[in-house]
Amino acid sequence: MNYHNPLLLPLLCGILGLTGCVTATVQEVRESNTGMEATDSIVVLGRRGRPQTSETELDFVSCVSKNLNRGAEKMQVVEEQDFMDAMFPWFEPRTAPANTRDLPELMSLPSLASRFEELGLRYLVWVEGSTKRTASAGTLTCSVAPTGGGCFGFLTWEQDSSYEASVWDVRTGRVAGKVSTDANGTSYMPALVVPLPFIAPVRSSACSTLADQLNSFLRDTI
Amino acid sequence: MYRSNAIARMPIQAGRLLRLALGIGTGLLVGCGGATVAVPTEFPVPLVERLPVTMGVHLSPELRKFVHREKLKSGGDWSIDLGDAQEPMFTNLLTGMFADMRFVKKPDAPDAGVDAVLIPSISEVQFSTPTQTRSDYFEVWIRYNFQLLSNDGQQVADWDLTAYGKANQRNYGGLQGNQPALQAAALAACRDAMAFFTVQFRGIPPVRDWLIALGGQAT
Repeated sequence: MNYHNPLLLPLLCGILGLTGCVTATVQEVRESNTGMEATDSIVVLGRRGRPQTSETELDFVSCVSKNLNRGAEKMQVVEEQDFMDAMFPWFEPRTAPANTRDLPELMSLPSLASRFEELGLRYLVWVEGSTKRTASAGTLTCSVAPTGGGCFGFLTWEQDSSYEASVWDVRTGRVAGKVSTDANGTSYMPALVVPLPFIAPVRSSACSTLADQLNSFLRDTI
Repeated sequence: MYRSNAIARMPIQAGRLLRLALGIGTGLLVGCGGATVAVPTEFPVPLVERLPVTMGVHLSPELRKFVHREKLKSGGDWSIDLGDAQEPMFTNLLTGMFADMRFVKKPDAPDAGVDAVLIPSISEVQFSTPTQTRSDYFEVWIRYNFQLLSNDGQQVADWDLTAYGKANQRNYGGLQGNQPALQAAALAACRDAMAFFTVQFRGIPPVRDWLIALGGQAT
């Protein structure tokens, strides 16, 4: 089942007539039933391969974990570093399973299966993606003199966040589905003596959309 | 349905402006000024079936005090202290892998009760900075050499292991300079060495033969 759920977020409309808006979309692909019992927990992991041009930011992964772990429908979430230490060395960049085909072999290790059981881990959520600055324009100059100083100019920049979370069901050893989010927004910084940054929270919007959608994806069954 | 709380974060905060100014200023000051870091001394214990072997380990004074120092043409004096991390690293590594482990002072004449002695050394360290690679990453490579001696001092195996770690400087903000990202890359390289050693050890042909001869390979 594949459905697209565009969510526009005209969020950041500002002060002094300036705007810094974030637009986010989220998409979900389900491949099997999901569901969470009271004792189940999940872990959100960033994909960190060996030399590569980009990897998921640490604070994005922890942001998704924290969002899943709060609110009325919060889940038990194992912290990424705690999980990697508990499972060492099987989820290090060199040894982490590349796909679900590697899971049965890992789970055949009695000590590892036992540790999964202790943690009550039901789902592994692999997050890939990053936030990038896609465009920027303007100039801003600052000067300092004995009588004082200040800045003058105008800067603007666009950021794009693109992340995909792949959900692995530990019990079935299969991919349960994927949730992805894209968010983009424009930030401004006018300066008349003092620079005034109007920052579009692109990454935090991507984080909250992804966490919310993951929460509903993991709880819902079809 | 998606509901965002982002709108609550939009109003300008004085603190944000201050942080931005401090970040720019500090970034300019420390951006290419080198760093001095020491690898943290906390490591995980490998989750594997322990081999029924009592492993001795000899850490030479050189290894215990190992510091990589380098002056880069692109800027700064750089120092990575790996020495203090070696004892906790090998303690946890070998505790997880073997039924028992102990440190030995004389590798060719170990105490009674030790089945073999492992002698690690660092033969080479390299690192790269984001400026050099035009990326966001600090990268660290550590080449270890391992010798395994039987309890009568005969060499069982001798092999190299190259470990790699990287860290994105964007994960650590601009206020703290180069230190946190370089430290994280060096720590990642040490963890990689532990991971590689754990998964590789039983498969090294002379080690495998020795384990079979010892009659102690875990299944």
